[in-house]
Amino acid sequence: MPIIVNLDVMMAKRKMSLNELSEKVGLTLSNLSILKTGKAKAIRFSTLDAICKVLDCQPADILEYREELS
Amino acid sequence: MEIKITSRQTLNVLLILSWIIFAGLCIEAGGFIANAIFAIANPAVVTRLWQQIDLSALFAYDHGHFFAVTLIMSIVAVMKAWLFFLIIRILHKKDLDMSQPFNKKVRIFIFQLSYVTLVIGLFSWYGVKYTRWMVEQGVSMPDTLYLRLGGADVWLFMAVVLFIIVQIFKRGIEIQSENELTI
Repeated sequence: MPIIVNLDVMMAKRKMSLNELSEKVGLTLSNLSILKTGKAKAIRFSTLDAICKVLDCQPADILEYREELS
Repeated sequence: MEIKITSRQTLNVLLILSWIIFAGLCIEAGGFIANAIFAIANPAVVTRLWQQIDLSALFAYDHGHFFAVTLIMSIVAVMKAWLFFLIIRILHKKDLDMSQPFNKKVRIFIFQLSYVTLVIGLFSWYGVKYTRWMVEQGVSMPDTLYLRLGGADVWLFMAVVLFIIVQIFKRGIEIQSENELTI
């Protein structure tokens, strides 16, 4: 997938654990883990909005486009 | 007082019906096979076994044709029983999860149903043709309705419909898995 999820990088910058983010965003740990590991197929705007609000960042800080090397 | 019929109750009723039909089809298939065995061992008994499928005239005409017709009838009967066995099996395993109906097990189940239905349709169609040909040869044959070979076109139509449903299910599974991975 050429879309990279940099949630772990942003969490490290804000010194926030997965448990804390899960509580503040209102997502289950398993769903947040799916998102963090890049297994997710899509992300809802409402989820993105909540994550950006909690981590005080922009969507571009979490999502990145990287061209696939074939 | 309002009575609510849940899908679980409906499935339970269908399971009971499937068991009854399965038992009936097993008896029918066994009857055909028993008739064939008695035709070899004691042909005099055949006329007293199953009046409707008396193939003694065919047996007297040619043993080979008799066993060919019996084989077709038996295959159709066994496949019909197998069809209901598949239904019973999936209902007993509780694989029909109504909260997530689009799963691989159900897709495989419908796929198997479509194939079994296709085989029933093809054998029924061939059996009818074969029986008609035997009648043209001057052999006294029971009606195809009694030989349980009727409705071949319906079986074939059902196979096509089931195959289309399988393709729709395939897409449904993809959508459901995508939905599960939407955070």
